[in-house]
Amino acid sequence: MRDFKKEIRARLADAKLSPTRENEIVEELSQHLEDQFDEAVSRGASEDEAHRVALVDLAELLGRELQRSDRRLPSNPVLPGARRQSNFIADALQDIRYALRMFAKSPAFTAIAVVALALGIGANTAIFSVVDAVLLRPLPFKNPNQLVIVWENATHLGFPKNTPSPANFLDWRQQSTVFEGMAAFAERSFNLTGMGEPERLDGRRVSANLFDLLGVRPIVGRTFVPEEDKPGTKVAILNEALWQRRFGGNPAVVGQAITLNGESYTVVGVVRSTMKLPSFANWRDQVWVPLAFSPEEANSRGDHFLEVIARMKPGITLVSAQAEMETIMARLAQQYPVYNTRIGALVRPLHEEIVGDIKPALLVLLGAVVFVLLIACANVANLLLARAAVRQKEIALRLALGADRSRLTRQLLAESVILSLLGAAVGLVFAFTGLNVLTHFVPPEVMQPDAIAINSKVLVFTLAVAIVTGLLFGIAPATQASHFNLNDTLKEGGRDSGAGARGKRLRSSLVIAEVAVSFILLIGAGLLINSFMHLRNLDPGFRADHLLTLNVDLSEVKYPDVPRRTAFFDEVIRRVRELPGVQSVAAAGNLPFTYNGDSMGIAAEGIPDPPSDQWPDVIYRTIGPGYFNTMGIPLLRGRDFTDQDTLDNTLGVVISEKTAKHYWPNEDPIGKRLKPGATTSKSPWRTVIGVAKDVRQNDFIAEPKMQMYFSFRQVQSMTANALIVRTTVDPLTLASPVRNAIWSVDKDQPVSNVNSMEHIVARAVARQRFSMLLLAIFAALALVLAAVGIYGVMSYSVAQQTREIGIRIALGAKRSDVLAMTVKNGLKLVGVGLVVGVIVAFALTRVMSSLLFGISATDPLTFISIAMVLFGVALLASYIPALRATKIDPMLALRAQ
Amino acid sequence: MSSSQLDRELKKGSAELLILSLIEDRQRHGYEIGQLIHLRSRGALRFNVASLYPLLYRLEKRGWIRGRWIEKAGQRRRRFYRLTPAGRKVLVAQRDGWRDFVEAIGRITGVKYA
Repeated sequence: MRDFKKEIRARLADAKLSPTRENEIVEELSQHLEDQFDEAVSRGASEDEAHRVALVDLAELLGRELQRSDRRLPSNPVLPGARRQSNFIADALQDIRYALRMFAKSPAFTAIAVVALALGIGANTAIFSVVDAVLLRPLPFKNPNQLVIVWENATHLGFPKNTPSPANFLDWRQQSTVFEGMAAFAERSFNLTGMGEPERLDGRRVSANLFDLLGVRPIVGRTFVPEEDKPGTKVAILNEALWQRRFGGNPAVVGQAITLNGESYTVVGVVRSTMKLPSFANWRDQVWVPLAFSPEEANSRGDHFLEVIARMKPGITLVSAQAEMETIMARLAQQYPVYNTRIGALVRPLHEEIVGDIKPALLVLLGAVVFVLLIACANVANLLLARAAVRQKEIALRLALGADRSRLTRQLLAESVILSLLGAAVGLVFAFTGLNVLTHFVPPEVMQPDAIAINSKVLVFTLAVAIVTGLLFGIAPATQASHFNLNDTLKEGGRDSGAGARGKRLRSSLVIAEVAVSFILLIGAGLLINSFMHLRNLDPGFRADHLLTLNVDLSEVKYPDVPRRTAFFDEVIRRVRELPGVQSVAAAGNLPFTYNGDSMGIAAEGIPDPPSDQWPDVIYRTIGPGYFNTMGIPLLRGRDFTDQDTLDNTLGVVISEKTAKHYWPNEDPIGKRLKPGATTSKSPWRTVIGVAKDVRQNDFIAEPKMQMYFSFRQVQSMTANALIVRTTVDPLTLASPVRNAIWSVDKDQPVSNVNSMEHIVARAVARQRFSMLLLAIFAALALVLAAVGIYGVMSYSVAQQTREIGIRIALGAKRSDVLAMTVKNGLKLVGVGLVVGVIVAFALTRVMSSLLFGISATDPLTFISIAMVLFGVALLASYIPALRATKIDPMLALRAQ
Repeated sequence: MSSSQLDRELKKGSAELLILSLIEDRQRHGYEIGQLIHLRSRGALRFNVASLYPLLYRLEKRGWIRGRWIEKAGQRRRRFYRLTPAGRKVLVAQRDGWRDFVEAIGRITGVKYA
């Protein structure tokens, strides 16, 4: 007996049946042929002859006859010797092999699809890793969800989150019952000296219980004990980075004495560098010392400089904590009306306080990358639809040979998921490269760049996105491909019926969706770019170019009084001024955009003090002579401080334009007098000697507040802590000479934050620049993808209409008419897409309001110009295929059938 | 239309009826069906593998017949086809239709059929 199975199987190979079905058919047909063979032999035919006769029948097997049959697999096929479950895996493996073979056959299609998907998925992966690092990762504290920040709420004075005063904090701690514990801290910088190069360190004064409250354990040594929280205790805790850098990670540092601000402190412990507290500015704690209120501080309710952190007891909600704190504040307002009238309390989750600012921007970006991915999906879906049309013959054949429609759909879906997984793999490479670039743009106050990484959570996210993406863009083509009418397809002799109404509608809606989504993205980017332009065009009030800035924090021990501080700065300024490239130099207090504190209420002579709850705050800065000239701040009236303005002469003050207008709206302020605090305070009167132009001090975006300047030669308690140098050359080239000049005066004096003023200004808008840059990149990506999508669909539709166009041209249609007709078809879709986009964008851009500056979320100019850009790109994308349509040779087109 | 073409069309139109008739009373496997058509038509009609099986599959798909793998003592496992209730209705209808058709042809051509 001959075996026919191999012959049959070979002829079925092209049909791509499921293994189950194929086995069944092979089994059945081979039996038939064997019977036929046996019979022929029994009638006296030779074996070879019988074999040949049987094969003649088989030869036709894949001919028209079998193709015409269309049957469904029995719902529960019986397969000899095999169980259903193993077939599922066999089917899946077959799907994968088959998909890979299909991709290898059409490398161009595969490459385009994979790149489009990789861009979409890669963008999602990159942004998700940032979101993960910033929003999702829990804070490195014990049960971080219980931790809250408590503010004084002075909304009516413009400070909804005011830093609490020490006496209020102590009352809160004593009276509250909803918290396990409450701790306060205040920023403080230290000069570390006496061991090599002097260094300025950021640090804090903290309540002794802070570390226990947060659940932070020391690496070596211990944290503070309650007894150490009193004046005169000189103990310090270091962070790991400082310990490694300056003490070589030696555990023997515990008990060792170090010199901070000229005083000796004993190191009691080291904690991990992940210990980070919320902060105004770019503050990176390296040293902690006990808060240790002085008796005056402990009784102060008017001095607001603390930040307060608390841990809610288990079961206590934010609402109940808030309610209790309000009750306590109401009581304190009755007891101390001068300070606490209309002041409330605000309890906020710690995590939100830390990430709150960046959250809307990140969510907008996350939305943007999802949109980019959607556009990529639409593109690939379109490609697949076009391919499905070409593949209909293959699919028809497989259906004819008994492939199950649902099985076929599954296989097509498997193809798209595998395609999407390939895209994800390439996307990960994009994301990895992208993140390396991204971390350079991440504003450091937002997060530590090294916190962003592609970890397992990100990988799982990417995998999930890839699978969902594959199903998303695969489902339409797959159902469409497997649901066409088999008979019609075969009757049409394999001509494409994908150009049928259904396929065309699907492709058109995909183009409309693409245009709409990219419009939304472009609008988002356009609005951000526009507001960033507004931002950069804002006048900070000074000239940031050619300005070098350095922090020079004088030790209170070494320079305790005005004469010694003055002498130091005078000498430094004298030496720096002689350096080549230096135009002018001055001592300065806290520079714009580097510090948000230092403001006070003032009394103006002859003007009654306002009620305590309406007392405006005036920002003050302590500066040296030549400050206005060096900063490039115009003096509108009067004069600058000079070396003669000392404690022995009339005390002067320079006020800002806004301050002048507020207190003396219709008078010349020069010669008027003001003083810190109320009219009755003991502070001496200061005479206004000049009026300077308003400067944006704290916040680049906010309108300038009232300001005033004191000369550091005329204040006992405050000093300048920076040096500004106006240069004729690139300011940073002078960093080293200036530093050396300072060290030639005092070799132990730390110098820190050496920056150009332009850098400081750029940093002040870093967050805005970051969001704008990313959204612009994603919008550009969306535009390119959308253009490719429109181009693809138009090309395909022109190819489909070759015959029609050929006939038109043969019948005398002008080529310009053909061009117009084809372009019009494309632009109709684009028009609909734009209308949809405008409507959705109107609704969606409102969520961006908090990111915008100087521009409305529905800015008509942006909407119109973006619509025009998109329309132009779409015009081009339809014009090129249309141009090809006009070049159709009618004779060739007609013969093509 | 050439005679071979006519032949093919006629065969195609009648093939379904032939198969349904042959399994009306008992289930049969594919080879048996092919043999019976050949024998009972006294060699006038012959279905080969490539024409018979696609037809069987199509009928099965329409739910008119149902194939099952059955093993009998001493024999190989074979796929037997039986008529479904739906198929039985179709058979009755097709038989009537065929009868009308043949009678109509007969009336025109004068060919009498037994």
